[in-house]
Amino acid sequence: MTAALRAEFLKLRTTRLVAGMTGLAVALTTLIGVLEAITAGTGKGMAIPSLATVGGLRDNLASTGFALLIAALLGVVSASGEFRLKTATDTYLDQPDRNRVLAAKAAAGAAAGAVLGVTAATTAVGISLGFAASRGYPLALSDPAMARYAGGAVIGSALLAAAGVGAGSLIRHQTGAIIAVVAWGLVVELVVGATVTAVGRFLPYTAAAMMAGDTDGGGMPQIPRGVAALPYPAAIAVLAAIAAALAAAAALTTIHRDVT
Amino acid sequence: MTVIEVCGLAKRFGPATAVDGLSFTVGAGTVTGFLGPNGAGKTTTLRVLLGLVRPDSGQAVIWGKPYRDLGTRRRQVGTVLEASGFHPGRTVADHLRVRCAATGAGRSRIGPVLAETGMDELAGRRAGSLSLGERQRLGLAGALLGDPEVLILDEPANGLDPAGVLWLRGFLRRFGDQGRTVLVSSHLLAEVAQFAGRAIVIDRGRLVSAGPVSELVKAARQAVVVRTPRAEGLRAALISEGAAVRAAGPDRLEVTGLGTEQVATLAAALGIPIFEITTDTGSLEQAFLRLTATEGRPG
Repeated sequence: MTAALRAEFLKLRTTRLVAGMTGLAVALTTLIGVLEAITAGTGKGMAIPSLATVGGLRDNLASTGFALLIAALLGVVSASGEFRLKTATDTYLDQPDRNRVLAAKAAAGAAAGAVLGVTAATTAVGISLGFAASRGYPLALSDPAMARYAGGAVIGSALLAAAGVGAGSLIRHQTGAIIAVVAWGLVVELVVGATVTAVGRFLPYTAAAMMAGDTDGGGMPQIPRGVAALPYPAAIAVLAAIAAALAAAAALTTIHRDVT
Repeated sequence: MTVIEVCGLAKRFGPATAVDGLSFTVGAGTVTGFLGPNGAGKTTTLRVLLGLVRPDSGQAVIWGKPYRDLGTRRRQVGTVLEASGFHPGRTVADHLRVRCAATGAGRSRIGPVLAETGMDELAGRRAGSLSLGERQRLGLAGALLGDPEVLILDEPANGLDPAGVLWLRGFLRRFGDQGRTVLVSSHLLAEVAQFAGRAIVIDRGRLVSAGPVSELVKAARQAVVVRTPRAEGLRAALISEGAAVRAAGPDRLEVTGLGTEQVATLAAALGIPIFEITTDTGSLEQAFLRLTATEGRPG
């Protein structure tokens, strides 16, 4: 397992995938965070409450929604890329235990997702505190509360990246896998969550976004209305279970297919 | 000692039969060409041998074990199956570092294998910027990281320029001269004859022939080509001696069934001048085409 882990970490460190995805996550977090902060408290359109309020500051801290989705895509690309680039042949020749490769890839993906999450959360916190301070607002949230939301973005990114590895292993066609994950995050969860609200909080993007500070009907991308947040440990358990279920499904099906 | 053993191997992809009851062995210290026309089942056989494709029946083993069960000895089997199986954004050196990490081979091997494959100047280049020939060399460099006793190569000459082919030929000869084992698939049959001592010929997933390349060549048609201003006279005389004669030009005959000495002696006895006499010793290509009956069949 150690050799497979070392190889998978090295694979991520020797390409621009993690840096590129992290840069994209930071750019989108900055764009959304700044737009939200500028319009906060104006009451216009989808503007969040003032940064002087608990709700406003929390919503602004939760501008990491796209970063969560990008973390999932990072996992998808790292797994499905093996087939798109035909590197799976050497990967499975070097390590014929394909389940071990999948586990190592999920672990490395989770670590890369965490790095992405830390960067995005730091960006969101910087923007929120910067705008609040520039307007002379006292901090509406305690340090532990802010750390909790930032931590939620980091843990959510890590577990969604691991889930992305499972999804990318299940759907080997990279473009198809990317479309499936984006559609899931932007459309499917919103529709399913709005239709069956009891299920909504168990959906992966919704659970992760709520850990990062989103509330029902809020967030960018939006999460469903009427959904109650899971307790923090339960949300982590749900995300971990989803990542494990996707990996198990891949291990039982596509992973052992012929590599031709 | 048998290194590679394929026994009763069969594999279908949907309605298409890729390998159909194939059996052969490869002995230690031999350089063996694995020949067949396109679609003969060479690549599928190699992928089954290396555990990438599951056979419908039969087995393929290396040192008596499936590839995945070789443990650390797996490092001693070097393989090149994909000419372009590299991340385009990863440098040559980083690609080899990843392979070392995955197999447990020491990073100290990277320098020597880059030098051996003539890639040492390209260590910092990204794989996406390499030519096809350079990628073939990088694949070979990766295969050599474990200092393997066995090399299994799938069409390694594809995309190589003449200098690259010459280099590959020399490399495989040197590797074989060290008493190591090579199984190399190719449809460049004349090329394989340059370095392989043995040949396994398959067609439509079935074994057609297995044995020394020299025997394969010997089995090929042997013709004597003779140029003479009295072609018709010589032709009649040769036919009366039981030879088969084909006119290969106005003053040129292609003779089978008699050797050069017999043809020359007969011509001298009849006072027929000969301007040129050569032996077409046959080629693996000819033997191969006859064995697989692919003449006139689209590739």
